[in-house]
Amino acid sequence: MSETLRYDETGEVHLDFHGAANTTIDFIIARYGVAAMDEIFRKVGKDVYRSIHDDLVAGDTGQLVRHWRHFFAREDCDYDIEVGADEIVLTVRSCTAWHHVAKLVGNPSPHFCDQTIRTNEALAEGSPYAIDTQITGPGACRQVLRRRA
Amino acid sequence: MIPSDHFTRFYNEVFKFLESQGEAELEAYFLAISKNQEKHILELIETRGLEGMDEYWSHIKIEENCDMDIDRNEDRLELRMNVCPSLSKVMDNDAEPMGRYCDHCAGWIGPIMDKTGYHLVYDVIDRKKPQCVMRVFKDAAKAREAEKEVKLLMGWPGHKVG
Repeated sequence: MSETLRYDETGEVHLDFHGAANTTIDFIIARYGVAAMDEIFRKVGKDVYRSIHDDLVAGDTGQLVRHWRHFFAREDCDYDIEVGADEIVLTVRSCTAWHHVAKLVGNPSPHFCDQTIRTNEALAEGSPYAIDTQITGPGACRQVLRRRA
Repeated sequence: MIPSDHFTRFYNEVFKFLESQGEAELEAYFLAISKNQEKHILELIETRGLEGMDEYWSHIKIEENCDMDIDRNEDRLELRMNVCPSLSKVMDNDAEPMGRYCDHCAGWIGPIMDKTGYHLVYDVIDRKKPQCVMRVFKDAAKAREAEKEVKLLMGWPGHKVG
């Protein structure tokens, strides 16, 4: 299993970037539609996160789990990760990004969580795995990686 | 969640898409981001001027992990970015950097300075190097004078240069 973590960030976090992401999602969808926004997230999943994507294609889930742990911890989310024999489940009880945007603007974009859903799909594209993201409440979700049938 | 640490790499993908749609679309986006940023900075500028800007960017310096010097006097504020974390991340990226990534800073800051009656002189120096110098003047003539020393002057929506 790979020990890589391609983007290992340190220092402070600037949560207001999530507000700019929310503005961006609304802007792109209003002018170009959901498909254009999805395509940008697809590029994030496959190009920006190429290292994680390539690992998944090679059947290695290690970097994705490390990535989730590193960044959900950095943003002080309430979450846990269960690594089982058949599936890996990331349960997010409180997403700092969603709640920060809610504090800034009231109601986050109805497409705010597409960044997670679509980026996850792209990470797993062409790999032996699928990542299914279920939104379980405001600022809460369950992300499940399992082998494709 | 795309981590806040990775917003700049997401931003880079958005810029590439918008650039492919045309210059007007990129400018419309800069204006949307500028409007978004007003909630963080506009009141500070309107109530406290250069001191308010100093407070905002001192906070940004910490939260965005900038290697940046801030200098303020009666006439102007100067931000000297020695190592820009935003462009640094975009360059340390498995995806291709957008060639004009640096343009977004003047793109959102300029419209706010226009709105509040200040005069921005934004020197990107070199779009491939993570460093720049931004100066904000109270006086338009002093800003025009400062433009003469600039290596790569940035414009913004409604304020073309070159």
